[in-house]
Formats: sequence, structure tokens, C-alpha cells
Amino acid sequence: MFCFFFLSSLFSYFESQTRGRKSQRRTSHLLNFRTKFILGIRFHISALLSSSPSPFPVLGGSFFPFLFLLLNCSMNSNNASSSAGGGSADSSPPRRNSKRPKYSRFTQQELPACKPILTPKWVISAFLLVSIIFIPIGVASLLASRDVVEIVDRYETECIPADSRGDKVKFIQGTASKTCKRTLTVPKHMKQPIYVYYQLDNFYQNHRRYVKSRSDEQLHDPKSANDTSSCKPEDTSSESPIVPCGLIAWSLFNDTYSFSRNNQQLTVNKKGISWKSDREGKFGSDVYPKNFQNGTLRGGASLNESIPLSEQEDLIVWMRTAALPTFRKLYGKIEVDLQVNDVIQVTLENNYNTYSFGGKKKLVLSTTSWLGGKNDFLGIAYLTVGGLCFFLAIAFTVTYLVKPRRLGDPSYLSWNRTPAGH
Amino acid sequence: MSGWERVRSSRSRIAGSRTISRTSFGSESRSSLQTVRLGRVQPQAPCYRTIYCNDREANLPVKFKGNSISTTKYNIFTFLPKGLFEQFRRVANLYFLMISVLSTTPISPVHPITNVVPLSLVLFVSLVKEAFEDWKRLHNDRVINHSPIDVLQDQRWETIPWKKLQVGDIVRVKQDGFFPADLLFLASTNPDGVCYIETANLDGETNLKIRKALERTWDYLTADKASEFKGEVQCEQPNNSLYTFTGNLMVEKQTLPLTPNQLLLRGCSLRNTEYIVGAVIFTGHETKVMMNAMNVPSKRSTLERKLDKLILALFGALFCMCLIGAIGSGLFINRKYYYLGLGESVEDQFNPSNRFVVAILTMFTLITLYSTIIPISLYVSIEMIKFIQSTQFINKDLHMYHIETDTPALARTSNLNEELGQVEYIFSDKTGTLTRNLMEFFKCSIGGEVYGAGITEIERGGAQRNGTKVEVQKTVSEEHEKGFNFDDARLMRGAWRNERNPDSCKEFFRCLAICHTVLPEGDESPEKITYQAASPDEAALVIAAKNFGFFFYRRTPTMIMVRESHVEKMGNIQDVSYEILNVLEFNSVRKRQSVICRYPDGRLVLYCKGADSVIYERLANENNQIKNLTREHLEQFGAAGLRTLCLAYRHLSNDLYESWNEKFIQAKSSLRDREKKLDEVAELIEKELILIGCTAIEDKLQDGVPSCIETLSKAGIKIWVLTGDKMETAINIAYACSLINNDMKQFIISSETDAIREVEDKNDPVETARFIKETVKQELGKCLEEAQQYLHAVSGPKMALIIDGKCLMFALDPTLRGSLLNLSLNCSSVVCCRVSPLQKAQVTSMVRKGANKITLGIGDGANDVSMIQAAHVGIGISGLEGMQAVMASDFAIAQFRYLTDLLLVHGRWSYLRICKVVTYFFYKNLTFTLTQFWFTFHTGFSGQRFYDDWFQSLYNVIFTALPVIMVGLFDKDVSASLSKKYPELYKEGIRNSFFKWRIVGVWAFFAVYQSLVFYHFVTTSSCNGHNSSGKIFGLWDVSTMTFTCIVVTVNLRLLMACNSITRWHYMSIGGSILAWFIFIFIYSGIMTPYDRHENVFFVIYVLMSTFYFFLTLLLVPVVALLGDFLYQGVQRWFFPYDYQIIQEMHRDDPEDTSREVLLEVGSHLTADEERSYAISQLPRETSKHTGFAFDSPGYESFFASQQGVYAPQKPWDVARRASMRSQSRTPRTN
Repeated sequence: MFCFFFLSSLFSYFESQTRGRKSQRRTSHLLNFRTKFILGIRFHISALLSSSPSPFPVLGGSFFPFLFLLLNCSMNSNNASSSAGGGSADSSPPRRNSKRPKYSRFTQQELPACKPILTPKWVISAFLLVSIIFIPIGVASLLASRDVVEIVDRYETECIPADSRGDKVKFIQGTASKTCKRTLTVPKHMKQPIYVYYQLDNFYQNHRRYVKSRSDEQLHDPKSANDTSSCKPEDTSSESPIVPCGLIAWSLFNDTYSFSRNNQQLTVNKKGISWKSDREGKFGSDVYPKNFQNGTLRGGASLNESIPLSEQEDLIVWMRTAALPTFRKLYGKIEVDLQVNDVIQVTLENNYNTYSFGGKKKLVLSTTSWLGGKNDFLGIAYLTVGGLCFFLAIAFTVTYLVKPRRLGDPSYLSWNRTPAGH
Repeated sequence: MSGWERVRSSRSRIAGSRTISRTSFGSESRSSLQTVRLGRVQPQAPCYRTIYCNDREANLPVKFKGNSISTTKYNIFTFLPKGLFEQFRRVANLYFLMISVLSTTPISPVHPITNVVPLSLVLFVSLVKEAFEDWKRLHNDRVINHSPIDVLQDQRWETIPWKKLQVGDIVRVKQDGFFPADLLFLASTNPDGVCYIETANLDGETNLKIRKALERTWDYLTADKASEFKGEVQCEQPNNSLYTFTGNLMVEKQTLPLTPNQLLLRGCSLRNTEYIVGAVIFTGHETKVMMNAMNVPSKRSTLERKLDKLILALFGALFCMCLIGAIGSGLFINRKYYYLGLGESVEDQFNPSNRFVVAILTMFTLITLYSTIIPISLYVSIEMIKFIQSTQFINKDLHMYHIETDTPALARTSNLNEELGQVEYIFSDKTGTLTRNLMEFFKCSIGGEVYGAGITEIERGGAQRNGTKVEVQKTVSEEHEKGFNFDDARLMRGAWRNERNPDSCKEFFRCLAICHTVLPEGDESPEKITYQAASPDEAALVIAAKNFGFFFYRRTPTMIMVRESHVEKMGNIQDVSYEILNVLEFNSVRKRQSVICRYPDGRLVLYCKGADSVIYERLANENNQIKNLTREHLEQFGAAGLRTLCLAYRHLSNDLYESWNEKFIQAKSSLRDREKKLDEVAELIEKELILIGCTAIEDKLQDGVPSCIETLSKAGIKIWVLTGDKMETAINIAYACSLINNDMKQFIISSETDAIREVEDKNDPVETARFIKETVKQELGKCLEEAQQYLHAVSGPKMALIIDGKCLMFALDPTLRGSLLNLSLNCSSVVCCRVSPLQKAQVTSMVRKGANKITLGIGDGANDVSMIQAAHVGIGISGLEGMQAVMASDFAIAQFRYLTDLLLVHGRWSYLRICKVVTYFFYKNLTFTLTQFWFTFHTGFSGQRFYDDWFQSLYNVIFTALPVIMVGLFDKDVSASLSKKYPELYKEGIRNSFFKWRIVGVWAFFAVYQSLVFYHFVTTSSCNGHNSSGKIFGLWDVSTMTFTCIVVTVNLRLLMACNSITRWHYMSIGGSILAWFIFIFIYSGIMTPYDRHENVFFVIYVLMSTFYFFLTLLLVPVVALLGDFLYQGVQRWFFPYDYQIIQEMHRDDPEDTSREVLLEVGSHLTADEERSYAISQLPRETSKHTGFAFDSPGYESFFASQQGVYAPQKPWDVARRASMRSQSRTPRTN
């Protein structure tokens, strides 16, 4: 609505500018005493009339937001009258109190307008245009997606010893060693950087209770450490505030992966896996974890208390909550190329409890293209839409050729179709 | 207040000084004061008010109200509470208030701003509007309250503001001044104590009225004299009857009766009189004009009522969505999701051990979340649109401006614009609406002889219907005076002396010249004089008398001056003055008017004119031959569509008159039932009259009525004529208007049959009623049967029903109403004649309620008010007669033919636009809310919001608000001229083609489709890394992406719905999308310590750093709009609407925006109008001081000759200017 005010003043400005005339407001001094008086008395009658509780405005008064418009109209009309040149009808007869409305294109509803008509030609060409634009884009993005090499390894069941698979929750909460070895074969040459993701299923990071259970104040400002009211129930540990507090931080993912190729360690670079704006804007470089994971129940990973939050990139990534219950999070980067048929040994610590709620865990190694990771959806969607439009264009063309519809055929008019009329 | 005290202290000081200096006189004055004091304590009769003129102290104890008025609704303290209360009477606002309250509780997923911001914006706009209007009222009040008035103080005229005026004060009002309160008229500078007033503010009549002071008070004119005036007025309590007043003036122990003639009402102004002196009787809110200000019941349009149903449906949808979500949440919640921290002490909303409570609370959560489904700004937007439509488009349409009466169209309410696009039945008054109410003296019958050669339109039409060719006579069109269209050499220029009975002729002309209440104005020469008359008939009669050589040129309160020609002998001219003794005025009960006058030779004659029925009852029993002949002529005239009046006279003897006059004066001074008593007294003398003859006045059809009616009936509108006229006149007018033609089957149900008359003659009302009812029942049954046959026939004739008031009375009986309705709805025209105002309303509401059709009532007089109010849309004809119809109407137009523009252009467009606006609002809010709904399924039904609070709250009020208003203002399917060229287009409105549930369903379907596209396309495509850095989007990135797509799509969708696209469309749509981007750029960049938007921090920049953003932004809107585009293409291709065909037929026409087209406001342009147009091209005045030049004759010609425009100076130019002067004159005191 503000934007409305703005535009309407713009409206008046432009209309007056385009007419290229200075506006003169004569109306005010035309209002001599008598007319004022008549207006006055008329008005107070109408004002009383309008004191009904009707929710809609009675026309006695004006409507504030439209002052602009009203003003504009009066300006318009004056402009029009002065710029009309010969042969215009707008000037009122030379009677002073004539009630003849002033001419303006606005009030006469004759603003220049383009009148698009959706003729078959337009329909067909619009469809064709869409298909011409969409199909190349679709092909390009599909190719980009296909270029991406992705290795997905689902491990949540395999990484539990066979004898413990009856009660996985007990195992994961127990103290037994959770180290697990996985072997991955590289199907295609993978160019560095290779991104390591973990993917969780059925994990509602977007649950209302979960999303709000954080304190952004506390995360970036050491002075707000006590600001934990929104973090319940993970707000305090034995009367002192937890930093970072809340369920999100508390449930930080704590599986770890290390990779080796031919018994040679592949370093995983964990720097720069979070958005820069998060690191610099949201997490303070002088805020250190405190009391974290001190409680009776451990949710997930613990944090090194000597590293400031802005450098705890795993936490930063985790705390950018996902939109859907199935999500990937970046774990790190491997900055060497992997060759075809390379065998990668993964040693992972299977610490994180997704077993209570039956969530899957996947390890993903993926390269990227200009479009990002492997995602055929965009390409397919573009191709489908482009194809569909092409098909529609063909269908309409055929229809048009077989049974053309003459434009503006009066026999289509309802009163011509049924002579009896309504 | 200070002025008050000053007044009083100065009084007492002077009184004091008087007592000191002139003790003897002082004691005297004190004693006189004493008596007045005694009078003060007299118990007042409860229904009278007693006023002591010129004595403030005496009036003090009664505590009359002051003269200041206040028309404001609020004051500074009540504004907020009262204004807010008014706002929250609207359900939508109340709903959002509740939602806002709900969103402050912890169960709300959204911050309160989400709902508070739009609500407060809407409230703010509404309140600002209210405040502005009220401020204007206050300002007006203040101007009025502070306008100066001369009041008598200490034997001097002192100027004080109106508001300080008190009851009993003596005031002086100068020429062209307004009366500050209701005044008792005491004295005037005019001789004979008369003054002239203009009552335009009261009833819109611009003719001057005459008021006369009591003779006893004529002298109190100067300050010195007036200060001696000590009268006591007893009068009625304040009431709202403008035309009645009873009271007595007690002055020096004399009791004088007061009539409305001595009352000067507030709001009127003084004319042609230097100044008058009066005593204040009613002040402030107790004045008659203020008591008349009443509330008009507001009407709501049908579409709006249907809109309520739509809103209700939305509430239903909201409830279902919440229910689904609530059940889901109850099922979902589980301790196994340990990361949600659902321990034993978890709050109720997430407590898995009580799933039912979880569901209930989630229900409320979801209601706040989905509240956007109800479009809060809908009502306020529609209000704005309609307001502009009515004030800017309807009021300022040059096509509906009537040059002759200088009247533009006026929308008095903005509620009903779109109702104009759906009207199916028009109920029209005849006189003044279909006909011109411009009366012309056309024929007369004197002493059994018909004079006048003209042939009326109706006769001509009738003759043509019968096949006889009427030789079109050279009519007297050349230069006949307005109001006189008569040519018969036997009467003109004194030729009447040679007729068979010249005495009858003489009496006839004298009666015309004397028996009236017309006021002459202007120069006392036959060419220049103008007559101010209460009704145009009267003026026509006086003009006729003038043309016959009986020129009435001056009126004093007691005298009428007539310049009589050819009376004694041919060519002889003499001025004769008749003393007017009594005027027995016309009213609708009496239906006659009499004047008793004394000839210069002392003869007493009563002249009477009136309706034939009342005059014939009072005729003396002689000369039956003339009576019968005249009766025949009357019928003949009636058949020709002429209005008739009978003229009669009676000689009175002095004794008879004196004895009667006593009774008359008695009746005149009675306080109660004065009018009734006057009528009774008049009855005593208006008898044994001698018939002179009768007059016939032509009531001309309005311009363009037949073609307008034809257009309207092509548009599928049925027109009913409801008139008080006789059946023959009504049928004739209906023929003339092409409402009825000979191909139609006419059903006539009349009470004027022999059988009924026979029963009536028995004088047994019960029996009569029973008989008529029986007859009507039979007739109805018979007609209905016949009608059914015609209906079933393949091409039966059209049918018309003609029914008169008496039969209608019985036909409207509940038992017969059904068959009447059934019959009349099958007829293409219906004419009801001899109907009362109440019956007009009954017929209207029968169709409105019984048939559930949209009705329109149009009329010009007070008798149409009930019909106008009963119909869905009431239209008043503004211009000639009084303002009652206009004051009761919703729209006022000057001519019947403007209905074409009002309905076919404005009505149709408004309907189209409002439909579009409403359905679009529905669509955009549904789409937006549904994306939120789909998200709920993926959040474990927890009610997590998908969008940032500010996105949600600004969606309705900024990002999508303006374009839809533009569409509501500017969209038009076909141009105005095409709308009129193809009236059939209007049928789409009658059928309500654009706001059916089917249409709403289509919009809803696409809303669902689009919301699915938005949600699933964006979320599915966003689950992986999005650029070569492999980083992943979070919730807020996805939601911002979705929101961007929605804003873009929804705005583009509007563009697709437009029929005509102006640059304002482009600017508003582009502006809205731009506004979103500007907003998000700023909003997501800002991180202040006080206002941290962590969620959306930097999201737009993160998004825009990826190709993904741009690819999605191209894909999603296209896919979303593909469905609509396909639908529109197919619909247009295979099932086109009528307007779409018309668009195609005229797609290559040039824009009809050229202003030359506009000039053709007429094909109706007469020579007169052309001239005034030519003159309008002349240079105009720029300063108010030169304005007077216009009043000088010859000004126009002077400038015209400068410009080369030929403008002859015609005699009637001057006459017209003289008649206009009373409207455009400025006060000399200025």
C-alpha cells in the first residue's frame, strides 16, 4: 500500500509531464464565498447522511490515499484543456459555475492501452517459443547433471555388527566400538574437488519445535551467553547456560569419516564447507562453546571448547537447517582426483543415533558441475515442459489447419447462436 | 464564551447606567421586565415552545440549544475507540484481530507481525480515511459556525458568529445571505413586507419563493425600531416538517397567527431584498433542515453478498486444512524423535502422551499459519476501486453530462457500481422520467369548442400504427416560446372576440392569468419576463395567457397586475390590477387551486382550476351541454397523451365572502390541524362553480427515450412502467416508447369495466372488493393460461401486461401474487397505471424478492421515492423537479437515456472488474496459503512456517496489492462505444457469467495446480549442491526461492487476465515484482543488533550466486502459468465469450480515444448546444474579478466575433441568462 502511494504520486507526475504543460490550479480562487457556502451547507447535510454506520464510504468526503489520484486528475484536465488545441470538446461552457466535468483520459477511461487478443497464432507461437527456449536449457542442464559422478553408500544397517542388529538403539547408545569399514569403488574418473556429504532420512530438521530451538543472539555475541530462553529444553546445564544452546546444536551429527586409497590417507579438508555469510555474520569469532553436551543425555557431537564457533564449520553447516526431512549436509572436500576403479577405504565412526526413528544414513561422494551436484530434475523438467509445449504447438497447429476458427465470426455470438435469446 | 459574557455584561452595564441616570424611565423598564419575568414562570404546555424575542435573559431558563452545529462522527477522544469499533464491526477485521491475538501466544508458529502488520495497515488506511472525512466535516462546521451575522445588541447591529446566536435574538440578514437559523420573519426592506428566498439547499428548487411578514411587524426594520420589539412567540416544538409551521406571535396583547409564510428556514438564502429582520426561533440542530438530515439505509450489492459466501467457503477450506494438519500432528508426534526433546516435562502442544490435546492445539497453530487464505485487503481494495469508479468515472463521464440543465451524473453511493452491470428489471416512472416534464400549452377547449391544431407525437405514432398517413404539418417549430406550442388563428391576436362565446374566452384567459402562484422575474415586458413557478404546468398556463393577450407582469402580495389586450375593443391595451383576497393553495388531496380576487370595479370572483374529477363534482347544475362536450374533449385530450386541467369560476357576493373569510381567518390562525381546517373551509366556497373549459398540456418525451429503451431491451433488460397516469395515457406512452407494439399480445386487466362499475355504483365497499378480487383472479388465470400456450408455441408473440392500480391492489394479495408474478415475468413489458407510490414499491419488491432478480427503480419525483428505495439500485432523475427522488437514490442522472451509459458501460465494466478483482484475490491468497499447506506435510505437521514473517505479512499489502487495483480501475473488455453497439454483451452480467461457482472453481483448480508446482518444483530441485562449491541450501533459502517464484507468477498471472493493458498495468506489475526484490535485497542484508533476521540473512545473495536460482525462476513461473495459458487458449478457441468475439471483430479498429468522438456527446447536439460549444472554445476567464462580464449581454458576441464564431444575440439568450442569474450570481457584499 505504501508502494501504492508512491506509485500514485508517480502516476500524477508522469501524466502531467507527458502532457508537457505546466498545470495551473484555478479552482481555488474560483471558489468564491457563495459557492463555499453552498458547498458548506450541502456538505453538512450530506455529512449527516453519511453518519450511518455503513462500512463503505459515502461520497461526501474524499478518500485520503486517492488524493494523489484526485489531484492528478485535476491537473490532467487542466493540461488537457490547454494543450488540446483546436477541436477539443473538453472546455466547459464559459459559465463560471458549470458543473461540466473536465475532460481527462483517466476519467473518461480512455487511457491508451494495448489490447492483447489470444488468437490461435499467438497461442501456437507462445508454445513454440517456450519449447525453443526450454529444450536447449534442458539438454544443457541434463548433461551437466550427467557429468557429475556420485557415489552413494547407505551404511546405517551394515555398520552395526550382525549380532546387534536386533536392537540397534541399544547398540548405538552402548559403549562398544562403533568403528566400521566400508569399501567404495570409483565408477568414473572424479575430478577434484570431491565433496563428501552425509545424507539423513526421516530427520525433521524443519520441525517447529526444532527450528526455533536456538539462540542466534548467543551464537554471535559472547555477551548474550545467558540468552537461552528460546532453547528449552536444552538451555542450561546445572544452572549455567549452554553455548551453543538448543536442540539443533545439541543434536549435532557426530559420525566421522576418514578415507584412504591404497592404504594412503586421503585428507578431508573441512575448511570452507559452510556459506561465508553464515561464518561471518551469524557465528561469532569470540564465542566459545561452554557446558556443551554436559547434560545427562548426550545428543550428538561435542565441540572443542578452545575453537570459536565461527570456525566450528560442522556446527555451522548443521545449524543451517534443512527444508525437508531428507537432506544432505556437506562434510568435507577431498582435494585430489580419483581414478576409475580406485578402491576407497572408508573408516567411519558410526556414532549418530538415527535408529530410534528409523532414519537412513548415507555417505555421498560427489563431484560438481556448473549447475551443482547431481540433480536430473531441472533438466528433465525443462525437457518435459519444452517437449510438451512443442507437442501442444503441433496439436494446435493441426487443429487450426483441420478446422480453422475464423476470428471474429459473428455467428459465434451467443445471441446469434440461439435466436430466441435469453 | 467570552463574546457571550461581553454581550451580557454590556447589557447589564447599560441597564445599570440607565437606572442611575434616568431613574424614572429605569423603573418603568424594570417593571416591564418584571412582567416578562412573570411570564417566564408560567408553566409551558409541553408541546409548545415559548420564545421571548429580543430578551436573552428571559429565554435563559428554558435552555434552548445553541446555534452551533456539529456534524462530526468523532471527537478527539472518541476517535480511536469509536473508529476502531466501527472497523471491527467488519468480520474480516475482527477475524484478523483474533488471529493477531492468537499469534502472540506460544502456540503460534508465526511472529505477531505476520498478522498485525497487514491488519494495522488496513486499519490505518481506513482510519485515515475516516479521520480525513471527519476533519473535513469539522472544518465545514467551523466555517459555518463562524460565519458572521448581524444581531441586534443595544440598539445596534453587531456582527457575531453564527454559533453565538440564541433563540429569541433579532437578526438582520442581507441580500444573498444565508439564514443562520430558523427565523420568524418580521420586516423587510421591500414594500409590503415581502422577501424572496431561494431554497436550493433544501429541495434543489431554484425558483424563488415569496415570504411575507405579518403586517403588524413591518415597522421593526431599523436597529432603533427593532430594539423596541418585545414579542412572545408560541410555536410548535422543533420538528422536521419543512413545509409546515404553526405558532402565534403575541405582541402587545395581540395574538397573531403564524404560518410557514413567516418562517425563513436555515439553509435558504435571501434574494431580491436588501435585507430583512427576523427573530430566531429554532437554532442549531433543532432547525428544520438539520432535523431533516436522516440516515439513508445503505444497500449492499448482490455480488458482495455472494462474496460473503465465497469468504465463507474459504473459511470452510481453512477449517478442513487445519483439521487435516491437526490429525496429522496428533499421529506424528512421538518420543522416538529424540532430537525434538520430547521429555516428560514437554509442553502440551508436543506431548506425545496426550495426542488429542496436541491435535487441538495444533489446530489453532495452523489457523494462525493459514490465516492468509482470507484476503484481508480485499475489502479495502474493493472499496478504493469502487470509490474511484464512482467519483472519477461515473461522476465525470462527459457522456452522462446534460448540457441544458448543467447536470453531470452523480453516484451517491459507491456500493452499487457492479450491481449496475447485472440489472434485469427496470421500473420506471413515466412523468419526468420517460417524458420531459417540459410542459407546453398545446390545446384547449373553451365553452365546448376545441382550439389548437397540433398533433402530438403519440397521435402521430398511433396514426402510423393504424396505417393512416398523417401529413406532417408545418408545425410551429419556428421560434415558439418554451411552454407554448399552440397555434390557432381563432384565438390569437384578439381574434377570440369573434368567436361564438367571447365571454367564456375572456374568463378563460383571466383565469389563466390570475389563478396561479407564479412569480414574474425580470423586465416587465412580454419578451423578457420569466416566470418562476412551482410546477411547469403552471408556468405554461401563464405563458399561454400572455400569448393570448393577458400578460401577467407583476405580483405584489395583495395584487396581481395583468396587461389585458383587446378586451374592450381590438388593439386596446390596458393594465388592470386585481386584488387577490385569498389563495386556496393546491395540494394533492384537493387537486385544485382557487384564487378569490376583487376586480377594480369591486366585483368578487373565485377562479378555480383543477383535475376534472374534482371540478365536475363542484359544478353548478346548469349548462349540461358544455359539461358533456368538455368531458368529451377531456377524453380526447387524454387519449392524445395530454395533461388536462378544468377551469371554472364563480361570482361571489360581498356578504357571502365576508362571512366565509371570517371562518377562513379563524382556520388560518388555529394551531392544530391548520391544514385540515383550511381544506374544510375551502370546501365551503369552492362549489357551484361555472365551467369555462379545459386546457391540454403536452408532456414531451425525453430525448432518446425510445432508442434507449430499445437498446436496453436488446440487452435483455425488461422495462416496466409504473405510473399514476390514466391507462390510456400510459398505454400511449408505452407505444411511443416502443415498449409495446401491435405484434405483442396484450393482456389488459382493468377495473374500468362495466361489470365493476355496476358493482361500485351499489356503494358497498365490501362487496366491491370481493367482486374485483374475484374478477382479477379470473383474469389472471385466463391470461396465465394463454401465456403458457404462447410460451410453448415455437415462435409465439411477445407479451405485454397492462394492469391498473385498483386491480393491482388485489393482484398483490398474497394469494394471487404468485400468478401475477408468473404472468408478468413472462411478459416482455409491463405497464402499471394509476398506481400509488406504495404500490410502486410493492411491485418492485415483488420482483426483487419473489423472482430474485436484480431490479432498478428510476424516477424523478417524491412519489417515486419508495420505489427507488425498494429496488436494488435506485436512480433519481436530477434536473428539473424537486430533489426528493435524488436524495433517496443511489445514482442520479439527468436524462433517462443516460441509463444506456450507466448500465451498459459503467455497470458492465464495474461488474467485470470487480469480478476479476475478487476472483484474483481469491486465487492469489489460496495459492500462497496452499504452498504453506503442502509444506506442513513435510514438517511432521508441526505447523512450522515456510516463509519469513515479513514475507507473509507484506505479501498481501505490498507485493500483490497494487496491480489488482489497477485492473479494478482500468480493465475493459471492449470500448464504451462497442458496449453500446452490442447491448447483448450485457446479458453476461445478468447471467452472472463471471462470478459463478464454476469460474471460482477454475481459479481454485489452478491455484492448487500452481501451489503444487511452486512447492514441489522448488523443493525437489533444491536438495543437492547448487553450484560448483557444493554447498547446500537450508530451509530459508528454499522458502525465499519459492516466494520469489510466487510473487513473479501471481503478478504475471494478473497480466494474463487483463483485457487491456495500460502503462499503469506495466508499472504496477513491474513495480510489485521490483518491490519484492528491493525489499529482499535490503531486508536480507541488514543485520543490526536490534533487529536480527538470522533466518533470511544473506539468502538472496546466496541464491543469486547460483545458476540454479535463475533456471528455477524461469522454469517455475512458466510451468505454473502454462496451465492457465492452455486453459485460456482453449477456452477462447473453442468456447469464446461474446465479448471475446467482439474484441476480435473490432481488433483492427483504431483506438476510439480521439476527443472529437467525445464531442459527439451528441448526435443530440442542437443548434443551441453547438453554439455553446463554439463559445466554450473562447478564451476563459482566469481571475474571479472579470467574472461579472459574463452577466453583461453581448459579452459572448464580442468574443465570438473576435474568434470568428458567429453567435447571434437572440432575445431568449437574455431571458435564459436572466433565469440563470439566480444560480450563478455572486454576493455583492463580496
